[in-house]
Amino acid sequence: MTSFSLKSMLERLEETAMALLLAFMTLLTFVQVVLRYVFNSGWVWSLEATTYAFAALVLVGMSYGVRTKSHIAVDLVTRRLPPRMRHVAAIIAVALCLLYCGMMFYGSALFVQRLAALGNDARDIPVAKWVLTFVMPLGFALLSYRFLMAGWHVLTGADDDMEYHEHGEQS
Amino acid sequence: MIAVGLLLALFVFLLLGIPVAISLGLASTLTMLIFGDHSLLSMAQKFFHTMQVYPLLAVPFFILAGTFLTTGGVARRMINFANALVGHYRGGLAMAALLASAFFAAVSGSAPATVVAVGSVMIAGMVTSGYTKPFAAGVICNAGTLGILIPPSLVMVVYGAITESSIGRLFIAGILPGIVLTIAMMATISFIARKQDLPRQDRVDFRTVVRTFREAVWGLLLIVIILGGIYAGVFTPTEAAAVSAVYAFVIAVFVYGDITIKDVPHVLVESSRITVMLMFIIANAFMFAYLLTTMQIPQAASDFIGGMGLPVWGFLLVLNLLLLAAGNFMEPTSVVLILTPIVFPIAMKMGIDPIHLGVLMVVNMQIGLVTPPVGLNLFVTAGVAKMSLEDTIKASAPWLAVLLVVLLLITFVPWISLVIPDLIGA
Repeated sequence: MTSFSLKSMLERLEETAMALLLAFMTLLTFVQVVLRYVFNSGWVWSLEATTYAFAALVLVGMSYGVRTKSHIAVDLVTRRLPPRMRHVAAIIAVALCLLYCGMMFYGSALFVQRLAALGNDARDIPVAKWVLTFVMPLGFALLSYRFLMAGWHVLTGADDDMEYHEHGEQS
Repeated sequence: MIAVGLLLALFVFLLLGIPVAISLGLASTLTMLIFGDHSLLSMAQKFFHTMQVYPLLAVPFFILAGTFLTTGGVARRMINFANALVGHYRGGLAMAALLASAFFAAVSGSAPATVVAVGSVMIAGMVTSGYTKPFAAGVICNAGTLGILIPPSLVMVVYGAITESSIGRLFIAGILPGIVLTIAMMATISFIARKQDLPRQDRVDFRTVVRTFREAVWGLLLIVIILGGIYAGVFTPTEAAAVSAVYAFVIAVFVYGDITIKDVPHVLVESSRITVMLMFIIANAFMFAYLLTTMQIPQAASDFIGGMGLPVWGFLLVLNLLLLAAGNFMEPTSVVLILTPIVFPIAMKMGIDPIHLGVLMVVNMQIGLVTPPVGLNLFVTAGVAKMSLEDTIKASAPWLAVLLVVLLLITFVPWISLVIPDLIGA
């Protein structure tokens, strides 16, 4: 296997997308402030574009969070379980995560479908709303894929649990 | 009944080791499917709309600013300045660590980030100067909690977003409590330093104070930009956060030159990762809150507590205990997201000021950060100090007394939280 597999391309794509979206949101909001005070003007579409970029960032990033094991979980009990029980708990946990993904995927697919049926454009951007929200079912599909991978690792014993850690950088 | 089932499901999911975000979302969607007349569509819609809540846009921007500041040598210059100011007192290096934490808290909205920024330099520094490692770790771990009390604060942004309170007012309300806590810890350090005869450093000349100040001023200016800008109505907290991020980028790359343009993509990815981690929890918590509201659970809880006829002080005491207990098991944003929809209506009915309630919640969350089993600051301090978690918990424990005293003070003297916002009419 070369490192140039489909898998690593997906990973690079995720990181690039996240970095670009965050940079885009930040600069757009900053430029908006500059435009208002220096040029006494502004772009109407700016705020809406920022919020859709934000949504895309979070929805694309969810699965990245599973891959980098950065979602916060409470491992208070599972850490103390004997290996066998911990294995079982991990399998149940992954199964429940997949159930969540399934429900959210279904819900967001309905959401996009409804918007497509209504056919409205976004408020200030001349793009159909369903196109802008399409990233949501996509994000949950990616999340399901990551949990399937995680589940496979647990089942084959590559991981004895989902190994989430309380990464400390936030709040 | 439904409420009990919902909370029970949430509890079981959390203990199974399912990520907090998914536990919240799964408990909500399942309850909705079983009892509710709302569809999965409306849940998905609620999830998506979380990212369109304007104040929450401040979250990624403040995180980005914080990452630039942490990697960009801003903290190091703040430490030098703090050390020039107080280093010559007995226990001066510990005081400098505390003061540097307060400075850094004033530009960063996160407590663990404050621990990393100050602790990675100061713990080793204190140990080489003759302090014990547990003492150094205890100071850093607890001083770091100032990150969420001294503005800006991510926890306040989240609280403001769900209660629709003014985030600018909340930020300004955090200033005096932050100073009170800093002074309380400073006095404690001074007391211990005398008793244990801790070292002091040579007094530096005034020129050095001025020089270190001039080096640190680029970082310190950020708090002026944030608070001044919001207060003067120049920009919203969200815009202030975006301006901070761009400003932090400029000083880290061009003024201090501690990071190069080539490092910027890495900073962006890392900030995105932290943003997603937080926002995933917040979006699911918004579904949870939506479910609570449609099931009229806050009203039921409010009627129940109202029926108990608790006086305001009794309610505040119970509220503190509830928040402290929850803070032991979850990180601050999750606790605020889960409990605010329930306790906020009750508190409003009892005539408690929403800003005072916000500050009170934040101080409780600070204590949650340094208490096991889930205390983010403990984990981070253990990592930075290269100590075991058990030793870090022991090292941090004595400082809990200071935090608890300040909590009581802030709970029962609303004046501390409200005087500055009222004074300047923010």
